[in-house]
Amino acid sequence: MKSLKSIFSFIVPLTAMLITFAIFLFTTKVVDDYKLKISNDYSIVVVSSLPLVKDNLSEFAGIKVKNIVTLEKNKIISNMKNNLSDKSIKLLKQRLPYFYKIHLEKYPTSSELNQIKLELKEIKTVKKVEIFSKNHNQIYLLLLIIQKIIAIVFVVILLYAVIIIAKQIKIWFYEHHEKIAIMRFHGASILYSAGTVIRHAIFGALISFVIVAFLMILLNENLSIIFPSELQNVVDIRLSINAELIKVFILSLFISISTIFGVLFKYKLNND
Amino acid sequence: MITAREIYLSYDKNRFIIKKGSLHIREKEFIFIGGNSGSGKSTLIKSLYGDIGLKHGELFVDGQKMKGISASNLRKLRRDIGIIFQDYKLINEWTIEENIMLPLKINGYSSDISRKQALNLLSHVKLSHRKGYKPNELSGGEQQRVAVARALAHNPKIIIADEPTGNLDDYSAEVVWNLLKGANEQLGITVVVVTHRVPKNFGIKFRQLSIEDGIIYEVS
Repeated sequence: MKSLKSIFSFIVPLTAMLITFAIFLFTTKVVDDYKLKISNDYSIVVVSSLPLVKDNLSEFAGIKVKNIVTLEKNKIISNMKNNLSDKSIKLLKQRLPYFYKIHLEKYPTSSELNQIKLELKEIKTVKKVEIFSKNHNQIYLLLLIIQKIIAIVFVVILLYAVIIIAKQIKIWFYEHHEKIAIMRFHGASILYSAGTVIRHAIFGALISFVIVAFLMILLNENLSIIFPSELQNVVDIRLSINAELIKVFILSLFISISTIFGVLFKYKLNND
Repeated sequence: MITAREIYLSYDKNRFIIKKGSLHIREKEFIFIGGNSGSGKSTLIKSLYGDIGLKHGELFVDGQKMKGISASNLRKLRRDIGIIFQDYKLINEWTIEENIMLPLKINGYSSDISRKQALNLLSHVKLSHRKGYKPNELSGGEQQRVAVARALAHNPKIIIADEPTGNLDDYSAEVVWNLLKGANEQLGITVVVVTHRVPKNFGIKFRQLSIEDGIIYEVS
């Protein structure tokens, strides 16, 4: 009972931290998915007096160019054909500048968008650049803000969790102090002597992982109940559960073991 | 095997427990260290297994210089020493069999070999019938016999014992002395024992040192 209670004090902060991490993973997935979706729909229109050398335009404001599509002059003219004479069409064809649609690999922020506009305008032949800044997605910005807030909350909870876990490990060291001292008198290394404490921490990490894994699977299987179907039409909110579970498992073990080693190091400094 | 040259030991800066202490213990010797309570006997033997550091002087144990000894060298040295504490220092959550197996496991022996050796020693200390018991289920005398068995388990080069019979009944004390004599005579283990009273008619050759006011004297 006493042992369960002490493991519980270890599991609670670790589980809280892992749940926050799982929420962070979830929002990251939603934001990335949404970003991909809007970046596929988004393009910059460039008007140039001479044809652009596409190979020279590989990156703007640090964002790679996915592709550059040349808009067919005939298509542009065909939209106005009805109102123009053949002569005018011929003249227009000669005078019409070149139109391009630039698709980027990543959806740019507003500042990146302004930077892209400046870089494009530096090309002498470019007459006009339309970045559609008014349409720039506000939902995306909102999602980014939420993601950042969750990241900050995660870091804060991580720090608190590490402090509480370290305190619990110190309590375990205190509880097993006599046993550790006896082992060390017999020439055991600190790692061997602290075996019980290390096993407690690994067991705690596994329990925390199992709890969070169960919650994540439950959430992933019941997204339609929790989130409105409209949202699911906009973005794919399903997690790649195996990959995310691996991340949670690694974090759980990493935090437990690194905290143990931190406490062990301090213990060794104080006792050697 | 153990050489001390003008060593000073203390727990604080102002008061030395051992002052200018010198001694030389040869291999396979049986040594008793006597003296009044508080004379520094326990402090002296603690320095032999590195539980207390030297303030001044030189101390060599099994060829290892104790002043400034590294943690890894201290671990190696301790693996060659069997220590018997006055308060037994057994691990209460383990069975007595597991307690005896401890030094063997630390020295890298397999569980099977460690268990066989533990059972063998339990029969020597006449506690085979209690192998599954935990230390706090045994009397003080029985616990000390387990502690002696543990100290002998890995066939150490040196056994250091701090008042091993101080709290024991006559029967347990006799078992402990017989085991220590056997270890010295038959296995050639160097034995250093701190005790208030040297047993009469001990039966084997031994040397006696005494500590008074922090100074080590040769008695016999």
